[in-house]
Amino acid sequence: MANTVSPLAVARRRSELGLVLLAAFITGAAYVLASLGKNASLPARIGPFLVSLLVLLVCAHIGVRKFAPGASPLLLPLATLLHGIGYVMIARLSDRLAGLQATWSLIAVACFIAVLVALPRVADLLRYQYTFLFVGVFLQLLPLVPGVGFSSGGARIWVSIGPINFQPGEFAKLCLAIFFAGYLSEQREVLSSGGKRIAGVQLPEMRTFLPVMLAWGVSVVVMVAEKDLGSSLLFFTLFVVLLWVATERSGYIVFGGGLFVLGAFIAYNMFGHVRDRFAIWLDPWSQYNGKGYQIVQGMFGFAEGGISGTGLGLGDPTRIPAVKNDFIFAAIGEELGLFGATAVLAAFVFIIGSGLRTAIRTDNAFEKLLAVGLTTILGVQAFIILAGVLRVLPLTGVTLPFMSYGGSSLVSNYMLLALLIAISHSSARRLHEVPQ
Amino acid sequence: MNRVIRRLAIGLLACYALLFVQLNVWQVGKRAELRANPLNNRESVRQFDAPRGPIVTSDGVVIAQTVEIPKDQRDAGSYAYQREYPTKELFANVSGYYTYAYGATQVEHLYSDVLAGNTPKQQLLAVGSTFNSVDQTGEVQLTLNSDLQKLAQRQLGNREGSAVVLDTRTGAVLAMYSNPTYDPNTVAVHNNDEAGAALEALADAQGKPLLANAYQERYMPGSTFKIITTATGLEAGFISTASEWPDENSWTPPNTKNPIQNYGKKTCGGDMFEVFRRSCNIPFARMSADMGPEVMVNGVKKWGVGEQLPIDLPNAATSTFGGEVADFTDSLALLAIHGFGQGSVQMVPLHMAMVAATVANGGAMMKPYVVAKTLAHNGTELSSTSPEVWRRPISPATAATLNSFMVGVVNNGTAKCCLALAGGVQAAAKTGTAQLNAEGETQRSHAWITAFAPAEAPRVAVAVMLKGVNAQISAGTGGTLAGPVAKVLLDRALKVVPQ
Repeated sequence: MANTVSPLAVARRRSELGLVLLAAFITGAAYVLASLGKNASLPARIGPFLVSLLVLLVCAHIGVRKFAPGASPLLLPLATLLHGIGYVMIARLSDRLAGLQATWSLIAVACFIAVLVALPRVADLLRYQYTFLFVGVFLQLLPLVPGVGFSSGGARIWVSIGPINFQPGEFAKLCLAIFFAGYLSEQREVLSSGGKRIAGVQLPEMRTFLPVMLAWGVSVVVMVAEKDLGSSLLFFTLFVVLLWVATERSGYIVFGGGLFVLGAFIAYNMFGHVRDRFAIWLDPWSQYNGKGYQIVQGMFGFAEGGISGTGLGLGDPTRIPAVKNDFIFAAIGEELGLFGATAVLAAFVFIIGSGLRTAIRTDNAFEKLLAVGLTTILGVQAFIILAGVLRVLPLTGVTLPFMSYGGSSLVSNYMLLALLIAISHSSARRLHEVPQ
Repeated sequence: MNRVIRRLAIGLLACYALLFVQLNVWQVGKRAELRANPLNNRESVRQFDAPRGPIVTSDGVVIAQTVEIPKDQRDAGSYAYQREYPTKELFANVSGYYTYAYGATQVEHLYSDVLAGNTPKQQLLAVGSTFNSVDQTGEVQLTLNSDLQKLAQRQLGNREGSAVVLDTRTGAVLAMYSNPTYDPNTVAVHNNDEAGAALEALADAQGKPLLANAYQERYMPGSTFKIITTATGLEAGFISTASEWPDENSWTPPNTKNPIQNYGKKTCGGDMFEVFRRSCNIPFARMSADMGPEVMVNGVKKWGVGEQLPIDLPNAATSTFGGEVADFTDSLALLAIHGFGQGSVQMVPLHMAMVAATVANGGAMMKPYVVAKTLAHNGTELSSTSPEVWRRPISPATAATLNSFMVGVVNNGTAKCCLALAGGVQAAAKTGTAQLNAEGETQRSHAWITAFAPAEAPRVAVAVMLKGVNAQISAGTGGTLAGPVAKVLLDRALKVVPQ
């Protein structure tokens, strides 16, 4: 029965394999070029690298082929392309980090496949929405627990258990997105209709609105306590977007925007580090020798790259602080130029497009909202850090999905990708494009 | 909900479009502005932190080179290349130093493009090798000989002063050393603060070690200047080999009450040959006063006094006669004093060597130079220096006369003690003991000698100057103090320069 091969699924998987191999080729070529540029020699152990690269990507592809054959063929290749370019850049910046990131890549792909295996029907997650709420809030609070959590780079978002350090917030995002999507898909009728009208604005029924508000409020406050501004912003956006999509009422956008301005104003007045970020954003030059140094060096890096870039391994991105995580895009701009940086932007746009298309195609409200939520997390997180690096917005440190150095980010983003792919596959099944 | 999701898609797309616009602003629109920003030192660091060719002496000794720091010894973000000066102080005055924050001096400064490989010729040679980065750096070959330079250093010892050896026929500098000097390695460190502190300490140090005293400083020449006075008299026809001067120990120039005396208050006189070899002061004072300001000042100018020395190194000093025609018109006494190298006459040690070399070279004064040629990394010659006459202050006949006078100084005059060269080679010389103190003060004097050899077919000239900074030097004369140094240098130089 389920083993009947659908021609559409075969076509999609064939495209995916081709694109994944293309991403692998680009990564391999970039890896060799970076080594030639930096050391004027072929990378050591180039053979094992290419083999493990290929094996890793083909395994991910086989995972999709086996467990989500009807899914969109674009998501995995785009993610692996970003992952590959990011890895090449990290390897070019530091040999030591390259080894660690390679290990994380292995774990990430394993988790990707594990999610696909564990989730034959995404809609089943709906039943566990409150579990995810509690797990999400728990993970969110974990860094604040004395003895377990610790600060690094100004933000208290780290947890150390035994030999492993990780950022639970990266996983909390996924859990809370699942909860929001579940809760809102069930309550959307109530939220979009009920409630009193005040000054022409239809307020939602407080009884149903309150739990969401609470979950969100706690998370935002916790993130502010952890000085993790980027995540607070991301979380806030996620919440407003899901409310808007679920209720189809633009009022939530206006309401959210107002709330955001209010929150930003309060934060600006309450926290010195928020004021710092603003000041640096408006004028990094006056603090060149202090907090503005990073952003100015980033701008110098982009300028150095110009249209075609200095070439991989030929630039000088190591002078930008935190270039391996928050500022990896500046390194790409420097060494791959406007062309390379635009390609990265385009890849994110295509991922967002594929994610939202997945949301549109499914007619299950939970899956729809979950797809929107996951895509928003990915797209907005990338936007927040890219905008910070490019000085479109004040800089708030979050990782660039798939590209930045860091295990938690890479693993959670691959899990997010697996969820999107699972939703994509389940809608294909529902549309009878592939066998049930 | 799909309608809203489409709007969301448009919204996100707009956000990314904004990023794309800003990316263009930094990478295209404001690129030039950002790259030119004074805070942006990427370009200058890249140029600084690069391979750089060596500076090599004529006998193949590397005096400046760049080494790559092994990868495991580099800190993150630190430089990959280090400039080194293996001969330390020995050639500091010629090579100069090369730093990131404080620029470069001497050959490092003037030939920076060649050393870094930035000349058009070198870049043409590297065309077509985009993928295998070819070493583009160039090499600078000096005219200086390391043995001779080492000898000059050893002969000066801990005494302050300068020694210059020239090839009389070409103007090539064979040795040029001065004390005090410095070790360029202390300045070429990567740490800017450290380099700045080292430079500041050197700038404040006594004796100006950062200046190449041999060509960037000038000193009272004393009797060595009599070569120029005699030459001016001979050229202008005021004197001849037959001129006679009265035996006297004191002479009071016109319109003054202060008498002029000979060195050591001796009685001194005779024919030109005699007064030159004994270095009497009064005949040269009389000679200068007789010639008058116009003849004397113009005669001196013919030697390039008052003009910056044309050496191929930066910031060469200018010798001075201490006044123009008008300054001496009403003061023949002053002119008389200047005529034997006292007063405010100042000569650069290199210039004094050029004066001897001009006499040796039949009256043609060659442009001095330290760079023989420059080479590309593959050995292709980029440039080579051809000898050039700077000026012709005297006729060959005058040169021959001066030559015979200077031989007298060696054989039976003020340099008799010290200039008997190895193998019986005849040297010619003029000594000088420049009295720095006024009458009645403690004796303080520079000791000078300028000489060339062999007298009959000269090849090398030398000038040695010991600064009168202490009683020991001030007690001696040019002949006894500078003479032995000149002898050793001439002996060795004759072996270096072939016939």
